[in-house]
Amino acid sequence: MSLLGGGIFKGMAVTLRNFVGSYFDKERLTTKEYAWRTDDKLPERAGDYPKEEAEQLSDTTTVTHYSRNFPMLLHDEGEPMDTVRCVACQICERECPPQCIYIEKSKDKMERGGNKAQFYPATFDIDVSVCMSCQICVEVCPFDAIVMNSQFELSTPDRFGGLLLRRDDLLKSNDYYHKIHPEEAAARDKRIADEKAAKEAKKKAAEEAKKKAAEAKAKAEAEAKAKEEAESAEKPAEAPAPTHTDAKKEDNGE
Amino acid sequence: MPNYELIQQDGLETSLLEVSMGPHHPSTHGVFRMDVKLDGETVVDLKPVFGYLHRNHEKLAEAMSYLASMPFTDRLDYFNSMTNNWAYALAAEQLIEIEIPERAEYLRVIMSELTRLVNHVSLVGFFVNDLGALGTPLLYAFREREKILDLFEQASGARMMCNYFRFGGLRCDVPEGWLDRTREVVDRFPKFLDEYEKLLCENEIILSRTQGVGNLSKELAINAGITGPMLRASGVNYDIRKVDNYGIYDRFKFRVPYSKGKVGDCYDRFMVRMLEMRESIEILKQALDGIEAGPIMGNAGKVFKPAKAEAYGRVEAPKGELGFYLVADGTTQPYRYRVRPPSFINLTVLQDMCIGQQVADAVIILGSIDIVLGEVDR
Amino acid sequence: MNWELIGDILLATVPLLVIFPSMFALTTWVERKALARIQNRIGPNKVGVPLTPYGGNLSLFGLGQPAADGIKMLFKENIVPTGADRLFHLLAPILSLIPAMLVLCFLPLEFPWLNGEQNSVKAFMLDGAVIFFFAITGLNTLAVFMAGWASRNKYSLLGGMRAIAQMVSYEIPLVLSAVVVVMIVGSLNAAEIAEAQAGWNWYVFQPWGLAAFVIFFIAALAETNRSPFDLPEAESEIIAGYFTEYSGFKFALFFLGEYIAMFAISGLAVTLFLGAGGGPGVEALPWLKVIWFLAKVCILIGVMIWLRGTLPRLRVDQLMGFAWKFLLPLSILNIFIAGFAWHAKKANEGTAVSVIVWVAALIILYAAAKGLDHVNRAKVKPRTYQYGE
Repeated sequence: MSLLGGGIFKGMAVTLRNFVGSYFDKERLTTKEYAWRTDDKLPERAGDYPKEEAEQLSDTTTVTHYSRNFPMLLHDEGEPMDTVRCVACQICERECPPQCIYIEKSKDKMERGGNKAQFYPATFDIDVSVCMSCQICVEVCPFDAIVMNSQFELSTPDRFGGLLLRRDDLLKSNDYYHKIHPEEAAARDKRIADEKAAKEAKKKAAEEAKKKAAEAKAKAEAEAKAKEEAESAEKPAEAPAPTHTDAKKEDNGE
Repeated sequence: MPNYELIQQDGLETSLLEVSMGPHHPSTHGVFRMDVKLDGETVVDLKPVFGYLHRNHEKLAEAMSYLASMPFTDRLDYFNSMTNNWAYALAAEQLIEIEIPERAEYLRVIMSELTRLVNHVSLVGFFVNDLGALGTPLLYAFREREKILDLFEQASGARMMCNYFRFGGLRCDVPEGWLDRTREVVDRFPKFLDEYEKLLCENEIILSRTQGVGNLSKELAINAGITGPMLRASGVNYDIRKVDNYGIYDRFKFRVPYSKGKVGDCYDRFMVRMLEMRESIEILKQALDGIEAGPIMGNAGKVFKPAKAEAYGRVEAPKGELGFYLVADGTTQPYRYRVRPPSFINLTVLQDMCIGQQVADAVIILGSIDIVLGEVDR
Repeated sequence: MNWELIGDILLATVPLLVIFPSMFALTTWVERKALARIQNRIGPNKVGVPLTPYGGNLSLFGLGQPAADGIKMLFKENIVPTGADRLFHLLAPILSLIPAMLVLCFLPLEFPWLNGEQNSVKAFMLDGAVIFFFAITGLNTLAVFMAGWASRNKYSLLGGMRAIAQMVSYEIPLVLSAVVVVMIVGSLNAAEIAEAQAGWNWYVFQPWGLAAFVIFFIAALAETNRSPFDLPEAESEIIAGYFTEYSGFKFALFFLGEYIAMFAISGLAVTLFLGAGGGPGVEALPWLKVIWFLAKVCILIGVMIWLRGTLPRLRVDQLMGFAWKFLLPLSILNIFIAGFAWHAKKANEGTAVSVIVWVAALIILYAAAKGLDHVNRAKVKPRTYQYGE
């Protein structure tokens, strides 16, 4: 301390520099002005507050592609409920840390995208007021059916019903997912495609191996039969073995 | 207890003034209460009361899978979700054979040191705010914190509740260009620290308010199990990053500042944190130079189901030693889950430090301990 | 009915009642804006003049904010705690405002429409204006303690006790530093003090005047409960001190009283040390005097805001120690120095002597301040730390 009150004057110099600097150097500003809407208009009454989805989308594109706020259910191209990926396996419901997901399995099965008929969620509710945006449901889902939405203005005048999002509110198309999280969605789609290709290749290989095995078996059996027949020509033939393997193959083919 | 004598006079009833500071008080840093007995302005007795934010964290974790507790660890010390994640992951990784990729280790160090910057810079802001500085240093601190939180958001999708670490690695890789942006923030941080030090470190009012206030002796600090900057401010050279060398901390060159005296006061606690930030910047620079491309997740299975075992994982969280003790019973849920929270244990010496000081000091002593009630009450 | 007298009184008082409350409104806006900028925020910038009831807004840098705040204050519920002394709870804010408004009359504001002939003006031109000023502002202490006591709240009580100790202590250096000027001028009349400083003979340019001004300003900060001496309302310790239990319009009155007191005491500082209405161009255009006076007041207010944005708060014992062990000895020493300097100048006319006196006085004062500071807080200094590898 060379000067009496030197530290205080130094501090005052710092605040003065910040005072002046904040007018010229935008980098210094702690806050950024929040543009309410694209035309910078304040909402006029309380009901106006939540933004339209499209408006929020324009905001979230400035946010990073990992932004997560709230889960949504993905469906592929087509009618939402015809192509929903969720099979109501209820893993997410079990794993959800704050237990905010409520799923009811359907009674009947439904076929989607050429796959085997599966259950679908008859009810799929998420309580926004409980959800803590942790993304655990996304990670545990084996069907890539649930991903995070970045829609962030979920306020509603209805305190109970409005905060409980129903299945139909949660359904979003894969295209929408691509729009909000392009990189993540592309990676996910690629992984699904790879997995599918790998599965198909595996299946093909398995089928071929099976076919070969069956052929070999049929051949061997035929040979054995011929031998048997040769051994006891008067004995009537048994039910043909290949039919059995065919049926088994069909069963596996699903 | 200090000696105090009430004025005794006929026809005059005198008693101590009992003030219940909190749970709603501007500077108890959450829902914390201090039942203070005052003789004039001097504190003659202080009883900390807490539990207003108890969320049953440990018992809840015993009823859900290992992974599902991860987001809840964010909410312990909500300023430092990354180090909380790391401590939990460290404990869980001891339960099973698991390999953590190089890149994940580097990113863990980067995230944890960024967290330390966030915590210390805002703690100093809050501390000076408790001294009555109307938020100016706090807002400078929050501006810098915001830049780091932006980085967290870009990497993990959330600013504070990051939920980023996974057993055996990290949830996702950082996006493209993230490391460059981090380097930019890290390079600019010393410039801000210079300004911050100029504003605070020589200010006569801060010096006379903090020096000799809230004395904590070396012996008491060690006996009470104090850890982190508070222990180092009392003159003990102890840092778990150096002691345990967890993660890859043995690869970095950094120093641990600690006090020269045998007694730590509020000024020491404040300065140790200021100096620690410079060291964190050094670690960050080395980590950003050393990081290479690679996978982000190790060989962890989809389901985390350890065999019967127990494990204790601890890290040097910005507030002190944060440990997680897990007992596995062979199922997907832990049999016992226990958190060793630094702020809770550091808070135990509050009464010893406050008695005999002024009311105004009690507030800044509490501020210098650096508590977060989410962690104290769990 | 003496219409002339009533007219005179209105002429003298209405401008004060218009200028200072509107300056108060403006100052709250300036303070919020300046503090915001010091903290690198933007500050109020939305509230302006609504053009239509359905939207459309002329925001004008948030200049509508004081009006909005005032309206908000008016509509807030008036809450009196159970068991509080309702009468004194109501009287306290009023009592804090009245003395602050009253002392404004003694400021030598030379409005061009007053020519010194009016009776009311003559009444205000008291010979003991400076003494009267201190006597009346002293009443403020009473109001603060009344508020603290009547609220039936422990924080309020603590705030009230702090306020009494602080205001009583700081009144002494405040008065003693004003005594220097009174001594040199030889009059307690504000107008005469202003006149003595005409033409750049401001007392702040004298070493003793500078020291007295600094002491006066510091004590004035404490007197008006401004940062770094805002202990009675220390937010981080005792919530809001003596107005913890005040809401609505009563709170607004306290707020108004505090700001008016700030203006009044800055006005006195300007009168005593900063040449009152003196400034460039006053010889040609006498009405500039009012403008200069108010401008100087505004500059002092600005410095107060700047300090508020920078400094943390002192502790009670340090605050009292600062008043009794630092400011009081220094201001007493300053009185002697002023006396010696005045006599030295009177005995020997000449530039050389005045320069020597000037420098010597400054050195003595600085050394005294440094010595006192060393005695008070020798142990307090920055420390160094060691590093473990």
